[in-house]
Amino acid sequence: MNKISQKNKRGTEKILSVYWFAVLFIIAAAIVYMVILFYGKPYDIREIEARILTNQIADCLAEEGYLKENVLGNPEFKNNFLGKCHLDFNVEDTYGWKELEQYYIRIKFYDFSQNLDLNFDISEGNINLKENCDKKGENFPFCSERNFYVLDRSNNQYTIKILSAIRKTEKNV
Amino acid sequence: MIKRRNKKANILTENIIFIILNLVFLTILLLFLFSKIESAVVLEERYAKQIALLIDSAKPATDIHLNMEEAFNKIEKGWNINNIVTINGNIVTVKLREKGGYSYSFFNDVDVTVYPDVNNRDYIIKINGYNKNE
Repeated sequence: MNKISQKNKRGTEKILSVYWFAVLFIIAAAIVYMVILFYGKPYDIREIEARILTNQIADCLAEEGYLKENVLGNPEFKNNFLGKCHLDFNVEDTYGWKELEQYYIRIKFYDFSQNLDLNFDISEGNINLKENCDKKGENFPFCSERNFYVLDRSNNQYTIKILSAIRKTEKNV
Repeated sequence: MIKRRNKKANILTENIIFIILNLVFLTILLLFLFSKIESAVVLEERYAKQIALLIDSAKPATDIHLNMEEAFNKIEKGWNINNIVTINGNIVTVKLREKGGYSYSFFNDVDVTVYPDVNNRDYIIKINGYNKNE
């Protein structure tokens, strides 16, 4: 009787060690999966990029709360917006990005008191990105829309809306 | 008496093997984790994006000192420190080994110069001025 019980004990110990390694293996597999999931994905910096882009555009349009002269209603400024605001939308030649622009910006001017569109819109980049701004998913661009209030030298009040959209999904999502 | 001793020796050997296998298992797991966390691929991407964002938010006549100690430690044998960060047009490339590298573009149209400060394990990013595209 004693012998049988001892044999059973040894058998249980062996099963326990197999079970132990099975548990270890499952835990290791879970850790490896999580690490690959975390480090396999690129860092998504588009939100910061869009915020910086919006700030740069705002700095280009206004200074110390006042709209710069020769901005509103100036076709030369509108036509050469990227150059005037020191922006370069060229991107690296990967994933076919050269053919498909990765940035889009749109600026709208409104009369502050009446919320009236002044019909002086400036837009640059890939207009198709705007269409996907309301969609959520890995292949859609990151969009950010921000408004700010400015005065001109005659104390007329305006609201400026800046929409910035950045695609670059392959390197960020 | 001899049989009992043999049995005890067996139990001890089994336990030692069990512990050694556990340790081997854990070591392999930790090595995998550290290789992923500190891999050159991850560092290249991190630094390239960080530098692109720094340039995007910088104004002309700015010097940025970026500590790149991790990159200096991870550099491949024989790879020149001067070639870790390069800027071509508006594209930053960080390369810690001959085969590899990571590039990211910045939109701020500025003229940038980069060079290493080996003593401080830094890279200096000098924003000279805006490019003349007006």
